[in-house]
Amino acid sequence: MSTPEALGLLSLVQWLSPAFPTGAFAYSHGLEQAVAEGDVRDAPALADWLADILAHGAGWNDAVLLACALRGEDLAPLAGLARALAGSAERLHETEAQGAAFTRAQAEMTGSPLAPLPLPLAVARAARGLALPAGQVIALFQHSFASNLVSAGVRFIPLGQSAGQAVLAGLHPMIAALAARAAAATRADLASAAFRAELQAAAHETLDVRIFKT
Amino acid sequence: MFDTAGQSRMQRSHGEAAVAFEGARLTGLRQKGSGKALLPRVRGVPEVVFLNTSGGLTSGDTLSYSVTLEGGARAVTTTQAAERAYRANAGPARVTVRHRVGPGGSLDWLPQETILFEAANLARETVIELAPDASCLLLEAVVLGRAAMGETVETLQFSDHRTILRDGNPVFLEPFVLNSNILARGPRAALLGPARAFATLVLCAPGAEDAVAAARAALTETGVEGAASGFDGKCVVRLLARDGWPLRRQILKLMDALRRGAAPPRVWQL
Repeated sequence: MSTPEALGLLSLVQWLSPAFPTGAFAYSHGLEQAVAEGDVRDAPALADWLADILAHGAGWNDAVLLACALRGEDLAPLAGLARALAGSAERLHETEAQGAAFTRAQAEMTGSPLAPLPLPLAVARAARGLALPAGQVIALFQHSFASNLVSAGVRFIPLGQSAGQAVLAGLHPMIAALAARAAAATRADLASAAFRAELQAAAHETLDVRIFKT
Repeated sequence: MFDTAGQSRMQRSHGEAAVAFEGARLTGLRQKGSGKALLPRVRGVPEVVFLNTSGGLTSGDTLSYSVTLEGGARAVTTTQAAERAYRANAGPARVTVRHRVGPGGSLDWLPQETILFEAANLARETVIELAPDASCLLLEAVVLGRAAMGETVETLQFSDHRTILRDGNPVFLEPFVLNSNILARGPRAALLGPARAFATLVLCAPGAEDAVAAARAALTETGVEGAASGFDGKCVVRLLARDGWPLRRQILKLMDALRRGAAPPRVWQL
């Protein structure tokens, strides 16, 4: 059963898996700072923190950018928006470095060179060629983002592996709903209320002992 | 059909104030409705103080402020008083701020805080357009109710888009949004925590990254959580506090650090 949809889904799952060499494991999106300050000490607090980032923070804005790019909007101005939205040095590094690594891996697999883009746009560019609905691409992108942060939480809070996976499973309904909403979103829907997460992501730059790059 | 009670019967206010400088010379001054621009006599860099004479913003109100700097002009701009957004049951009040800074110019946009009262509905858009070598310092400070007066805000619709364009391209974008649903989540660590006052300062200038050390050194105010980051031609500082007063004191310290000791606009002085 190798329909275009089935093959597309396998490609997307591959690109968004922890094995794909974007180096995602090194970035905590400011979670390390939130844990160090005692804001995220357990599974319920991690679930709240992730839910707010996904619905009201950079997670949502990445979803909107992804939707715009999947719709066929020009990538260069979207990349400018992605950079302008990055609230601090490490946020910018996180999206650019992972986007560049993703692009490099794609280019090596396909043999055709590509200019680097911030992560959601690099993923969107690759996913344009897959026969998948935007909502599905966005849902899997958000899931991969959340999954990476859960494993950062598991290592650093620390949490048991199963407790971490329960947090991720608990976010599934929300991710599905957000992705469906984001699929129809335009740049006018860019929005952020995760002000303290932005603040803490900047505070991470001066954290004394750091395991994560962000 | 129509709600004839309370606010909806009030006269809607519309205000517009626009100021232009060419070098050190005032070349334009336009004031309409509730929008005024005062030009206090100051030594050095000209100061513009915008004023909304309507006393506050509610449904259907519009207000726009604009500063245009040409010929390498510099200006420090602020507002005469904290802008207040009151209960608004019939759609948003709309505020538009659009400044343009030409080649070699420099603008400080340092409005006093915006106070959002219960059931406020405010949509504000701030855009500062910079020429390739121009610079700006942008401040937005927001307070939810007045904690000292025991006011809390549960019902709210607030969008506050802050954009800096350089040579037509966005280099800073903060599409801040806060509403009743988000407030109902409570003092969540990733949102506002327990804070009810918050501010963003952005220095956008060639080499602005280098200001981050001075900004960090100025983050000393008790009761204010703050962090600064220098990157990509910007120094961005975010602040959170329980109330407007410590926030104000912290902002003054940062103004001093980011404006190399230049005196703050008089209305900001404690």
